Amino acid sequence: MAGNYSNESMLDLYIFETSNLLEQLEHSILASEKSNHISKDDVNEIFRIMHTIKGSSAMMLFDNIASLAHSIEDLFYFIRENDPREVDCSALSDIVLEGVDFLKVELEKVKAKDPVDGDAQRLKETIADFLNKLKLQNSSAEKVFTSRKETKKNSVEDLKDMPEDIEEITEKIPEEKPRYYIAPNITEPPAALSKKNWYKAVIFYQDGCEMENIRAYTVIHNLKEIVDKYIFTPEDIIENDLSAQVIKEQGFTVVLRTDKSYEEMHEFFMQTIFLRELKLEQIEDQEDEPVMNQHENALTPQIPVLQTVEREEKAEKEVSLSSAQQSIISVNVAKLDRLMDLVGEMVIAEAMVTQNPDLKGLQLDNFYKAARQFGKITGELQDMVMAIRMVPLSTTFHKMHRIVRDMSKKLNKEVRLEIIGEETEVDKNIIEHISDPLMHLIRNAIDHGIEAAGERVAAEKSKAGTITLEAKNAGSDVLIIVRDDGKGLNKEKILSRARQNGLLTKSEQEISDREIFNLIFLPGFSTKENITEFSGRGVGMDVVSKNIQTVGGSVSVDSTEGAGTAITMKIPLTLAIIGGMNIKVGNSRYTIPTISIRESFRPKESDIIRDPDENEMIMVRGECYPVIRLHTLYKVKTEITELSQGIFIMVEDEETSCCIFADELLGEQQVVVKALPYYIQNFKKDNVLGGCTLLGDGSISLILDIQSITRLVKK
Amino acid sequence: MIKVLIVDDAAFMRLAIKNMLQNNGFEVVGEAANGLEGLESYKQLQPDVVTMDITMPEMSGLEALPEIMKFDPKAKVVMVSAMGQESMVRQAVALGAKSFIIKPFKEDVVVKTLNQVNALK
Repeated sequence: MAGNYSNESMLDLYIFETSNLLEQLEHSILASEKSNHISKDDVNEIFRIMHTIKGSSAMMLFDNIASLAHSIEDLFYFIRENDPREVDCSALSDIVLEGVDFLKVELEKVKAKDPVDGDAQRLKETIADFLNKLKLQNSSAEKVFTSRKETKKNSVEDLKDMPEDIEEITEKIPEEKPRYYIAPNITEPPAALSKKNWYKAVIFYQDGCEMENIRAYTVIHNLKEIVDKYIFTPEDIIENDLSAQVIKEQGFTVVLRTDKSYEEMHEFFMQTIFLRELKLEQIEDQEDEPVMNQHENALTPQIPVLQTVEREEKAEKEVSLSSAQQSIISVNVAKLDRLMDLVGEMVIAEAMVTQNPDLKGLQLDNFYKAARQFGKITGELQDMVMAIRMVPLSTTFHKMHRIVRDMSKKLNKEVRLEIIGEETEVDKNIIEHISDPLMHLIRNAIDHGIEAAGERVAAEKSKAGTITLEAKNAGSDVLIIVRDDGKGLNKEKILSRARQNGLLTKSEQEISDREIFNLIFLPGFSTKENITEFSGRGVGMDVVSKNIQTVGGSVSVDSTEGAGTAITMKIPLTLAIIGGMNIKVGNSRYTIPTISIRESFRPKESDIIRDPDENEMIMVRGECYPVIRLHTLYKVKTEITELSQGIFIMVEDEETSCCIFADELLGEQQVVVKALPYYIQNFKKDNVLGGCTLLGDGSISLILDIQSITRLVKK
Repeated sequence: MIKVLIVDDAAFMRLAIKNMLQNNGFEVVGEAANGLEGLESYKQLQPDVVTMDITMPEMSGLEALPEIMKFDPKAKVVMVSAMGQESMVRQAVALGAKSFIIKPFKEDVVVKTLNQVNALK
């Protein structure tokens, strides 16, 4: 069936929606596990999610997914309806999470277009066992439940098939008063009675239309508007779903009295949906009510009058809310990427126009006025595109609950996860790059950081360890901090490991604490002898730092032995467009991110200091800063080599400042960051370039990576 | 063209129904993700036929149905239900739903049901 009408977008939507639902499900089950209580809302939500997944999967013909979803739905249906007091929350969470995992694996298969063939039989049995246990434990409640059904003459079989709210309907059927007919809603003048005609109609439904009994009920429901007496068979269409089978085979028979003509009645019945065959005959001049022999004791259920819940007030209140929800649409990320590229190109094009060399020396007041307006609008457009791409970190953060839970269970450690600042937003592309490193850091923290309970108590700490996951804005960066209150890093161990692996580049006396900690990010470093299931598989912290570096971020560690470790990831808010200062050295152009620039100035010869190794430094307001000459760094030919002729740009990253020497400043503008080609990236190990960009006059400018430059200075 | 409003909390289901209907010359005038939105959309769009999911957050199909019927006693609402929800479908019929579709549904069933419901007087 899927092939008939579906296209890629159906499958895409299925995958997208189902994975979202699974995430939501995971979240609610973890939340309820934490509080050791499943709230009614959670149960409802889980039930609804499973119901939706079941329906969608059945449509896509993923039967194994649908059937597992169905059994979880059943389980939560029972919990919802019976509200059992004794639910083993932890076991329930295990089951549901196992189910979620199964569904996730199957969903991956769907994504990869592999056959969706996972077998959930064992899991379904576990669920069935659990459900049975629940039913037994709550046998008193169950007894009430079944006994009520028994009065309705329902077999246990039926219960399974139609579990929903059966009481609501059946309760309203007066059992002790068997009646053959029902008075119509409209009370008619008695005089009209004499004109009544009797009809007998037999309705057959098309094959495969399903729920024939309810289709028959639809007919009766509509009939009561126009007739005043009727009898039908099979008579138990409301209570007994097995009657569907009877109707399928023998048809549905109604005998009725009305003042409508034959044609009118025929037209009425012909409107029946999925009608295959109708036999309608008028029963001549019948004085008495006709009796249907085979069903003398037939009980004609009254059409149940259902109380509708008064929700008007609520509805009115929520109107504004619902229209607000509708104003959100989902957009393909690829389109946003393309939009971003286009805006980037436009920023370049704007520079090409307004800084066009042809304009040099012309007096163009009106042009510049218009250009300023243009520049203002492109700037706003750019901000807007950035804003659109921003996504809060909360989803990524909440995924970590699951990791903490699984690991603390397996390792038998008690760990709490605290989340701060989850509403902080970063670019969509960046989010994808931080999920894995984050997971790795959390695993590391639980595995290596947090001590076993006994050890913690001995160290006079609380028995449960705490991991704090924090995000906050810091200028144009976002800081994500993973902090644990575990045993902290052991400097001696790190040093000796680094020595063994030949990773030390400095003498041990000179190395600072910070530098020692940063050693753990070097490739091939791992202090843990025992490899566990979760961490220490050889892919170490170096992978974390590499991942973060690909999005232009950095990682640093801070630790106090005995008190814990904090790992900070500094990530740019966005990648694509930055404010930059263009500078000129000889014929080359360079761009320095404006955010790193503290000041620029023309030096006096007297401020320049040279040490015995010929390293140049400059004294500014009593502080000494190292000087980096770009023309020597890049071997650029330039006429300006005297420091007093050029210009100094003082740049800083979080700890170090230095002064870059260039020929002159060209001006500040928004630049679109383009990645360097691979052959340049691989050319030099200590590359200080962060990328390149296109300037207004068509020339290429190299973007300096300030962190790499300050690192040069430190060496 | 028959104007249809689709009410379902699952975007996938909405797309499935929409595809089927658009392949068969129906006009899908609106979509809503829960009963409340469905009710609002009905008032605004006045569609010929509504497909209404039962299990939805905020306001279920069973709660939205009587509200729609109150607004427009002639409203033609078709319930979309799963197997195992028989009693809910019965309630829906009692509340005025004209017919129902069982998930997973086939294109011809959906088209036929909606055509016939639309033809009702």
